[in-house]
Amino acid sequence: MIQKILIANRGEIAVRIIRACREMGIGTVAVYSEADAKALHVQLADEAVCIGPASAAESYLDMEKIISATIVTGADAIHPGFGFLSENDKFARLCEQCSITFIGPPSDVIARLGNKQEARNAMTAAHVPVIPGTKEAVYEADEAALIAEQIGYPVIVKAVLGGGGKGMRVAEKPEELKECFRTAQKEAEAAFGDRAMYLEHFLVRPRHIEFQILADSFGNVIHLGERDCSVQRNHQKMIEESPSPALSGELRERMGKAAVDAAKAAGYVSAGTIEFLLDDKKDFFFMEMNTRIQVEHPVTEWVTGIDIVKEQIRIADGRKLSYSQENVRLTGHAIECRINAENPEKDFRPSPGTVTDMYLPGGKGIRVDTAIYSGCTIPPYYDSMIAKLIVWAKNRKEAIYKMQSALGEVVIEGVDTNVDYQYEILHHPNFLSGNINIGFIEDLEQSREEPSVQ
Amino acid sequence: MNLENMFKKKAVRTRMERSQAESRPEVPEGLLKKCNKCGGAIIAREAEEQNYICPKCGGYFRIPAYKRIELLADEGSFTEWDMEVDTNNPLDYKGYTEKLEGLRKKTGLREAVVTGYVRINGIGAAVGVCDGRFMMASMGKAVGEKITRLAERAAEERLPIILFTCSGGARMQEGMISLMQMAKTAAAMKRHSDGGNLSINVLTDPTTGGVTASFAMLGDIILAEPRALIGFAGPRVIEQTIRQKLPKGFQRSEFLLEHGFVDEIIERHNLKETLGRILKLHQSDNAGKVQEDHPAGRTVEKPDVKAEAGMKESCRYQDIPAWERVQISRKADRPSGNSYIQALFPDFIELHGDRYYGDDKAIVGGIAQFHGRPVTVIAQTKGCTTKENIERNFGMPSPEGYRKALRLMKQAEKFHRPVICFVDTPGAFCGLEAEERGQGEAIARNLYEMSNLETPILSIVVGEGGSGGALAMAVADEVWMLENAVYSILSPEGFASILWKDGGRAEEAAELMKMTAKDLLGLGIVEQVIPEPEAFSEETLESVADRLEAEIAGFLEKYTALDTKELLKTRYQRFREM
Repeated sequence: MIQKILIANRGEIAVRIIRACREMGIGTVAVYSEADAKALHVQLADEAVCIGPASAAESYLDMEKIISATIVTGADAIHPGFGFLSENDKFARLCEQCSITFIGPPSDVIARLGNKQEARNAMTAAHVPVIPGTKEAVYEADEAALIAEQIGYPVIVKAVLGGGGKGMRVAEKPEELKECFRTAQKEAEAAFGDRAMYLEHFLVRPRHIEFQILADSFGNVIHLGERDCSVQRNHQKMIEESPSPALSGELRERMGKAAVDAAKAAGYVSAGTIEFLLDDKKDFFFMEMNTRIQVEHPVTEWVTGIDIVKEQIRIADGRKLSYSQENVRLTGHAIECRINAENPEKDFRPSPGTVTDMYLPGGKGIRVDTAIYSGCTIPPYYDSMIAKLIVWAKNRKEAIYKMQSALGEVVIEGVDTNVDYQYEILHHPNFLSGNINIGFIEDLEQSREEPSVQ
Repeated sequence: MNLENMFKKKAVRTRMERSQAESRPEVPEGLLKKCNKCGGAIIAREAEEQNYICPKCGGYFRIPAYKRIELLADEGSFTEWDMEVDTNNPLDYKGYTEKLEGLRKKTGLREAVVTGYVRINGIGAAVGVCDGRFMMASMGKAVGEKITRLAERAAEERLPIILFTCSGGARMQEGMISLMQMAKTAAAMKRHSDGGNLSINVLTDPTTGGVTASFAMLGDIILAEPRALIGFAGPRVIEQTIRQKLPKGFQRSEFLLEHGFVDEIIERHNLKETLGRILKLHQSDNAGKVQEDHPAGRTVEKPDVKAEAGMKESCRYQDIPAWERVQISRKADRPSGNSYIQALFPDFIELHGDRYYGDDKAIVGGIAQFHGRPVTVIAQTKGCTTKENIERNFGMPSPEGYRKALRLMKQAEKFHRPVICFVDTPGAFCGLEAEERGQGEAIARNLYEMSNLETPILSIVVGEGGSGGALAMAVADEVWMLENAVYSILSPEGFASILWKDGGRAEEAAELMKMTAKDLLGLGIVEQVIPEPEAFSEETLESVADRLEAEIAGFLEKYTALDTKELLKTRYQRFREM
């Protein structure tokens, strides 16, 4: 039975986990780098151990030091949070070897799901739809044309060694395929000296829809509905909401079932997330599975009433799920905005420094998860996310009004933040109408760059 | 705001007591270990999987002998020799026999060195690997005997030897018998070498004492692992004797490289590949004959005869004043020795050091394949940037440089490899240190030895041929010059200053001195002039390199066909007639 948990993380997620532990009567050990000596998680935990210098590689990523800290403090479990060592199968294995409970899935499951091809194969076997594409490299345009027919148009041609958009072309119709293939291949040959190409079904402006699942070690798997995370910049999510304005009850049921099947196929245990892409024809495809607690878990917590971190700890402690699928009901609408110390005017450059003054909103239906306080320092060494503002209301419209109001109240002095940028998004007509996809921010950036035509 | 001790934390232990059956977290024996370099805790297996290198600091751990062989040998190619050899406690030293017995049980080794036959990239070699776990791989009778037998058998079977050394030195428990092993192993190495066989040492941490002072330092090529401690007297002994703190990095591989005792430092993951390349360059059926296919060499088309003639014409008739040629030869962007090595010998392996004092960066030397034939290449070289020029001393060699060149030439002679020299120096370095270490002696020695070196020598003056400093690499069977290279008794400035007490009359002197390629071809000092494109630089080196490649191939064909006696007679006559 877990008595004391070492939290191998920092910032708001460490604080979030410490609070859950305290409510459960579990002792807590914080670890921190020299740069974080005054950080909130260090003050809130029952005990704290300094594990090295500021650089993450020598502190929060140093597996051996974290294991040593666990043994020394007599903790019996490690919660890895997100980022850092949370999806590192080597670390999970090390915990297993040292009889430390790793609060997450077994190491071999992490390893399997971390391997793109293996994860894809497992999903195909479980009849979870994956984006159709070639497994083997293609070299000839004629062969590519035949494969494209099976995959379905539009088709994207990618260099096997590709990167930076080179050697990449989209063919909308069969007539364009051979020309696209040859051009992309020529580019690939010039850029990487390799003619090997992949073909994949191309999704036009899809939405990012993910399903939260919980799985215990007795084979029970449930899903807690979806989160729509389509507002993202360079694959970094900015706003998440639940439920998604794009899902009907019927589609939610189908996708939820696919998510549960996917987790079962992977032999998954713990809290996890299945990420899908949903295209304009409402076809969905498995993208990847995240084997950790996620930043945006609070929106699911609010619409379901389930404390995911506590459930995660209970599962790790070998207990059965407290809920069955029938108990899970989505009520109302929740939205989360990530507040980052960064400057959107300067290409979102991180803005570390000291928070000289701050005021955060509160009131009914407002939750703030953060580790900043007046006078705290935001070090330059780690992620720039400093707070999560989460709101809940009866429906999407009211939730948006609440978020607009709450964002308007946020005051953070001393460092630049993206609060104004978020405020702008919350008033954007496309966001208001729910008409968003993963290209939303890119379009917004482009429209900001182009001078408006009168 | 200071939050220290601000929060109320009433420990609410509502949890049940831990049952006895539950396992307490603990680190299983051997899962983690502490790196003795950085002090960090590391996963033991991970370090082993990564060639026994600390995943945190990159520090090198010692490798057990059989593991080392496994990393090195082609799979299944290792056959162990002389497993039964051990020692009989010659001094009846108390407790020694028991100690040996204990170590044998603990390590599974019979003695501190493992010897045998391996193939590396398909090439057979005799290999000896010291294992530090066995009495710090000190050399007693058994180690000496195994190394000696290895050398004897390798000599008999004409196999190259590779020795991985790691040792505290002679084994004290065997007293004078141990000391004698130094002489015994050195003698066996000498016999092996005299048979024309190759030996390579790989010095690993630590190589000290009587092993350094015998078989560890006698290889034709001496490689070292990074940061290994290598020395005769141990650092602690030295500190206690001279009562001084030793500088950082003292007696480490890098220190030895700088002081001329190590040819190159090789990272562990490159070791097999490097050894394989060196072995390939010394394969006996390789020496002295041209292979038809030459994958490692440059592929080049024969220069167009007409274009060639055109270039020659232009050279013969281009009327450039001598002083202008002097200036062209000194131009900062003119390709220097190292550029030719890069252009003509893509698989060049640089070998460092004179084995006496230092490694002179004004001379670059090493081995390479040329059209499938192993050659020794030695080049005087300037730098491309000011920083590099300072490092290379502006192409002015020190005595160490000439001694390195000579060492590599003697090695070429042993393996019947032709020597190709590139000359580009304002002159031998003129300075206090150079005189202290015998600049004159070093140059003289090269003239003396080169005159009789039993392998073809070609020298090409590619830039400045500054007097004795150039001649010390130009006692050759043929000497060629690039069109705008110069070669002289002295700089024109010096000449004017000595004869006319007026250095300003250098332009006039340049004309009188007859120092251009054209002049020297007329005087019979050089055999051939290689034309240059206009505005000669790294960018236009290709055309000259192509031409040189064809000409060098012709030279090698002609001179390797001669028998040694005739070769040396012709070389003697070449200078005798001047």
